[in-house]
Amino acid sequence: MEKGTILEVKNLKVYYKTIAGDAKVVDDVTFSVYHGEIFGIAGESGCGKSTLVEGVYRIVKPPGYIAGGEVLFEGVDLLKLSEEEMRDIRWKKMAYIPQGAMSSLNPVLRVEEQMIDAILDHSNISKEEALEIAKKSLSELGLPEVVLRMYPHELSGGMKQRVIIATAYALRPDLIIADEPVTALDVVSTREVLQTLRELRDKYGATVMLVAHDMAVHAEIDDRLAVMYAGKVIEIGSVTDIFYDPLHPYTKGLIDSIPSIAKKKLIRGIPGIAPSPLNWPSGCRFHPRCPYARDICKAEEPELKEVKPDHLVACHLYGGD
Amino acid sequence: MGDAPLLELRNVTKIFRGGGPYGGKEFKAVDEVTFSMPSEPSILALVGESGSGKTTIANMILGFLEPDGGDIYFKGESISSWLKNRPSEFRRKVQAIFQDPYEIYNPVYRIDRLLKITVKKFNLATSEAEAAELIRNALEALELRPQDVLGRYPHQLSGGERQRLMLARILLLKPELTVADEPVSMLDVSLRAVFLNYLEEFKKKYGISCLYITHDFNTAYYIADRAVVLNLGKVVEIGSMEEIIHKPLHPYTQTLISSIPIPDPKSRWEERSELRRLELKEIRPEKGCPFVLRCTHAMKKCEEVKPSLVDVGGGHMVACHLYGG
Amino acid sequence: MSRVRNSSKIVVSLKRVIGILGKNNKLKIGSSIFLALLVIGYISPYINRLRLGDKRPDALAVGRRWEQPSVKFPLGTDDYGRDIFGMLLIGTMYSLSIGLLAGAIATLIAVTIGFISGYKGGITDHVLRTFTDTLMVVPLWPIYMVIATYTRKLPLETVAILLGIFSWPGAARVIRAQVLSLRERAFVKLAKLNMLNDLEIVFTELLPNVAPYIAIGFINSAMGAIFAETGLRLIGIGPPLLPTLGYLLSITIGVGMLSVRPYVVAAVVAVLSLIFVSLNLINIGLEEEFNPRLKKVTGL
Repeated sequence: MEKGTILEVKNLKVYYKTIAGDAKVVDDVTFSVYHGEIFGIAGESGCGKSTLVEGVYRIVKPPGYIAGGEVLFEGVDLLKLSEEEMRDIRWKKMAYIPQGAMSSLNPVLRVEEQMIDAILDHSNISKEEALEIAKKSLSELGLPEVVLRMYPHELSGGMKQRVIIATAYALRPDLIIADEPVTALDVVSTREVLQTLRELRDKYGATVMLVAHDMAVHAEIDDRLAVMYAGKVIEIGSVTDIFYDPLHPYTKGLIDSIPSIAKKKLIRGIPGIAPSPLNWPSGCRFHPRCPYARDICKAEEPELKEVKPDHLVACHLYGGD
Repeated sequence: MGDAPLLELRNVTKIFRGGGPYGGKEFKAVDEVTFSMPSEPSILALVGESGSGKTTIANMILGFLEPDGGDIYFKGESISSWLKNRPSEFRRKVQAIFQDPYEIYNPVYRIDRLLKITVKKFNLATSEAEAAELIRNALEALELRPQDVLGRYPHQLSGGERQRLMLARILLLKPELTVADEPVSMLDVSLRAVFLNYLEEFKKKYGISCLYITHDFNTAYYIADRAVVLNLGKVVEIGSMEEIIHKPLHPYTQTLISSIPIPDPKSRWEERSELRRLELKEIRPEKGCPFVLRCTHAMKKCEEVKPSLVDVGGGHMVACHLYGG
Repeated sequence: MSRVRNSSKIVVSLKRVIGILGKNNKLKIGSSIFLALLVIGYISPYINRLRLGDKRPDALAVGRRWEQPSVKFPLGTDDYGRDIFGMLLIGTMYSLSIGLLAGAIATLIAVTIGFISGYKGGITDHVLRTFTDTLMVVPLWPIYMVIATYTRKLPLETVAILLGIFSWPGAARVIRAQVLSLRERAFVKLAKLNMLNDLEIVFTELLPNVAPYIAIGFINSAMGAIFAETGLRLIGIGPPLLPTLGYLLSITIGVGMLSVRPYVVAAVVAVLSLIFVSLNLINIGLEEEFNPRLKKVTGL
């Protein structure tokens, strides 16, 4: 499997203007995504992961704005492109499925109309060709053709989401970004949808970026993932590394606090409350809640460093070489 | 001991009619559901996906809806009888925790009001000073600092704090049964176990039983002793948590358990089981077993005859023709 | 003891509401204009007393006929010698009074019916809704005209009541919709679990949340009533002794001032416009505050 980089985010900053100053929702984030992998972005509410992908896809709306950094997609810095040029990339090379996409399906239009509309919006082909593409996309994802003639309310949640994925994949983008695709779904649909995303990679070589707060979801399909806390990426590694050898105390706490049918023991959770973007703690943002905090943690922000092969962490516990 | 069960549902049915008073389609949200909770403090998980009827059952237990068939008994007396004769006693003994920490507060008032009204309406204190102290103690027991929380409006607190206040309210009342409808599904994962620990503590320390309603087996496994599995309004399986998770009998339960995402990359779905692709929207068949359209073991009998719950040993019950239902 | 506490609670919540509303520009401008008009209208009898002594401005021959505008008669007089400026002042008071009174009556009915319909549901809701919808399609103007032609001497209150009792259906529907959606919210269920009875729930839980829509409905009804009364006057219908702005408009136009002294007509129209503009601003301001999505679009 070639390990070329398809997406490289460098020092990305996305801030929100508020009366009380700038809310630094995404604050200097750096990571890379390789071709053909499933890359997860994990973190709890308020950590900035949704805003991060909005920044990558360049759909940040005021009062939010991109305050700095680079987003290199197949070598090209997306932040330097014009809106025209961005439009060429969206859907054709990179597709984005926002949170709650399935509830934004138009209830009075049949599925085929919506899929065709979306395809025609981003390409210069005829309606018949668009229909063919839609049919192909659905069948590749294992959805029966009869779905095209149905209305959204006739489909289950899982099916709606798979239709959304089929639409997003219709023009064969190289990268698909999905923001919380399974949060509103029940267990069986979750499995179907995630396995569909897996298939995109296994059968068609697409790269998938998956944003989710549910660590179990990451454990089931990710190859690598980044963990975010308070606007920063604090750990990146393979899924096995993150779950079996978490380095950052927050990651450890997170993994330990997940209830699971695979183990039964008392869970203590992470003490304290998540901070607000208007008032990030000084130094390492996790220091007020960290059981290993030392003086340096309050004063200096730790850098994201590769501490083991392909395993990066931003923590003073892993300071000196 | 011969005590009546704390909660008992006997063949409870609830039918909803769409289309106004001039008739329309009716659908059975709850179909002859039977299960019970013992008089000793316990935590029972009511597990089902959306559309399984679990919230309707919660509403009926709390007296917001009346069953169309069968009845619900609290300590041996029907809910309707409780509400008619001794409503405040019933409300003192049966309380609830809801899912959405944003929706449970009236946005125009400070959160103090909820707690103060609880104290006032149930006569928990004889003076204002006593009331204030009760509230302070309840907050502190939940590791909330009164000065950080009192006097605030709901939007000024985090989801976790708001949900903890629900627990504080339960602590003030110390009911005999708490109906918790998806109490942690909108909380961050790292907060869920902490919240559930309190429910467990309430059971052990104050004898407060809990009906834990959820779609998430992971959290159900964490705190419940027994589970009732619902599918399309019908009970398909009842058993201890261990039996349900590790030895599920009903094909639906088996599908559900094998699909639960496990936070362990070394144990992924493919290694655990095959999944039959589910088609379109769940249709409720008129007769027979509701799972017949999706079941890999479906027989002719399953289309005709509705299976009944049978005990296959040690209190483990299944409604499936494979086991002589 | 608890009375004092309750009234201070109301003061505190009013302060909070005013605090929130005080930031919206539209509300500030709209309510300032409207308040100014209200004050001028209600102190107008005193102003007129200062100007004209004991004579009412709409009494015949207060001044000579067709007087030119002067310091004493800033807008001159009409062909009966009536003081137009004075009539403009008291006309403001009369028109506003009709609007506010009709608005209050309409709102009272709308709130009662809207709440009962939305909260009770079932057959009651069905019956009330059919009644509301039926009344809504009944054309108001023909009714007004019929009533007006058969009654010559109508006092202000009766006019207001008549206008009010036909304009409530719109607001009632909005309120019903609000109550329906609020009824299902978790905090209402929690109130029931806290042993609050239906009346307590309606007044303490639901009403504060519906209040903005009630206010908007009230303003709409008031505007509608002023508009209706003015319009009816222009086609000559309405009790002749009620010196509203509509009456003033009808006599000035009727006597031909549009061509001879257009500024007189313009003055009346200007005051009417100020009333509508200020009320509309308040309405839009209220909607912006309570429907925050609008704020970003208008940008003000």
